[in-house]
Amino acid sequence: MRAGDLPCAALALAAVLMVQARAAAADVALGEYLAAECASCHQASGRRQGGIPAIIGLPADQFVALMEAYRRGQRDNQVMRTIAAGLSADEIAALAAYYAGLKPAE
Amino acid sequence: MQIDRRNLVASGLAAAATLGLPVPAVLGQARPRVVVVGGGAGGATAARYIAKDGQGAIAVTLVEENEAYQSCFHSNLYIGGFRSYDEIVHRYAALAANYGAALTLARARATAIDRERKEVALSTGQRLPYDRLVLSPGIDLKYDSVPGWSKESEEAMPHGWKPGRQTRLIRERLERVPDGGLIVMIAPPNPYRCPPGPYERASMFAHVLKQAGKARAKIVILDAKESFSKQAAFQADWEKRYGGMIEWLGPKVHGGIRSVDSLTNSVETGFETYLDCAFVNVIPAQMAGEIARSAGLAPAGGYCTIDPETMKSVSDPNVFVLGDACIAGDMPKSAFSANSQAKVAAMVMRHELTGSRAFPARYVNTCWSLIDTDDAIKVGGRYEPRDGRIAATETFVSAPGESEELRRQTQAENMSWYAAITADMFS
Repeated sequence: MRAGDLPCAALALAAVLMVQARAAAADVALGEYLAAECASCHQASGRRQGGIPAIIGLPADQFVALMEAYRRGQRDNQVMRTIAAGLSADEIAALAAYYAGLKPAE
Repeated sequence: MQIDRRNLVASGLAAAATLGLPVPAVLGQARPRVVVVGGGAGGATAARYIAKDGQGAIAVTLVEENEAYQSCFHSNLYIGGFRSYDEIVHRYAALAANYGAALTLARARATAIDRERKEVALSTGQRLPYDRLVLSPGIDLKYDSVPGWSKESEEAMPHGWKPGRQTRLIRERLERVPDGGLIVMIAPPNPYRCPPGPYERASMFAHVLKQAGKARAKIVILDAKESFSKQAAFQADWEKRYGGMIEWLGPKVHGGIRSVDSLTNSVETGFETYLDCAFVNVIPAQMAGEIARSAGLAPAGGYCTIDPETMKSVSDPNVFVLGDACIAGDMPKSAFSANSQAKVAAMVMRHELTGSRAFPARYVNTCWSLIDTDDAIKVGGRYEPRDGRIAATETFVSAPGESEELRRQTQAENMSWYAAITADMFS
C-alpha cells in the first residue's frame, strides 16, 4: 500500500463502521435532535413548575402511549396535539428511547 | 475521475469525528469558531446548544453588551403586577460556568461585520474571526414612523418595546393614571416583535386600574392594522372582565394617526383628537437590529431573508440570522420562535463544522397572553420549510368562551413555559 492509499483506506473503513454504528445509534441521535424542540417547555433538568409535566425518564412505552393519545385527539391540549401530529411513529419511538434513557437532575 | 484528496481526508476525519474517534491533531488545526451576536432567545440558545451538543469541538463566542438579560416576554406580566422585575432578569454566569471549555462570553457591542474577512468588530476594539456567524440582534424601532414622535420623545411617550428602563417607565406611568384617566396606545403595523403583545399589555393596564379601583379609566388602542392576533378571544374577555375599559379602533375607523404631541400628551387622528392623555404608549413600526442591516443582510428598514432549511442568510452562507431580525414566514416574531430557529441553526453548524448528523429543519411556536388573573389565551403551530419559506403545517388558537378552567390551565402552562425556556437559554 502506498502512502497515497492511506486516506482512501481510512475513509472506506470509516464508512463501513459508520453504517453499522448508525443503525444501532440512530434512534437516540434522532431523539436527541427532536427533544431539543421539547426543551422549551419540558425542562431538560426534569424540574417541573406548574402546568407542564416533567418527561425526563418517562418509560418508553408510556411516552409512546401518551403521544399516540394526543395524535388521536384522545387527550386535550392544543399544543401537544399539534406537536404530536407533526411526529411520525419512528420519531415518537426515537423520542421515547431518548427520554427513557435520561435521569432527572438532582 | 479526479479525486480531491483534501476533501477525502476532510470527510474521513469528519466520519471519524461522528463515531467519536479521536480526530488527529497532527494537522494542527484549531477548533472551528462560531461567533454569536446577541444574547437573547435566539443567540443564547444557539450558543448554548452548539456548546452543549458540540462538546468542545467548536469554540463559541457569545457577544452581548448587556450584563444581564431582561426578557421582553413576560415584561407585560411585570407591568400587570403578576411578576416582580427580578423574575424577568437572567444572568449569563451559568452559561460560562457550564460550558466554559466551549463557550466564551464577550461583554461588548458588535459594531460591524466584515463578511469578506469573516470578522466581527467589537466596541472594545477587539476583532473576532469566525467560521460561522449567528446574528440575533432583535429589532430596532422606526422612530420616524409615528408623526410627531421621535427618539427624543420616547421618555415622555414610552414604547416599552425594548426591555429595561422603558418597561419600568410604562409601569410607573400606569401607576399614576387617575380614575377616569385615558391611556392611548398606538399599535404597530405588521411585521413586528410579539404580535399579541400590545393587546396583552392593554389587558394588564385594565387589570391594574381595576384592581386600584380606577374602573372609570379607559384604554384606547389605535391600531395600524385591521385585525390582530387572538382578536376574538381578547375582545370577548375584555368585555367579560373589564366592561368597556378597552376600546380598539382599526385604521378604517380612526383614519390614521395625524400626529402625537409629547408635550401635551395628545394624539390627533383622522377621526378624533385625544387631549390630556394620562399617558400615550407609542409602539412604533420596527425593523431588524442595526448590525444585521449594516452587514448588508436586510434591505433598508427591513428584515433579513433566510433559507428556511438552515436559517442561513440568503446573502451569505456563513451567516445565520435568528429571531425577530429575520423573515421567518408564518412564524411570528417571538422568543419561542427564536429559540426554535436557534436549534435548527445549531444543528446545521455542527454538521458543517464537525460532521455531526443533519436532520430536516422543523419549527414550533406557542405564544401565551395573559388577559386577567388565571385567564390566559394562546396561539401557535408547527412549521416546516416549504416553497422557499417557513410555512405553517398546523396552527391553533384559543377560542372565545372557553371554560375558566381551561384558561387557568393555559396560564399555568404559560408560567411553566417561561421557566423552561429561560433554563433552555441560560442554564
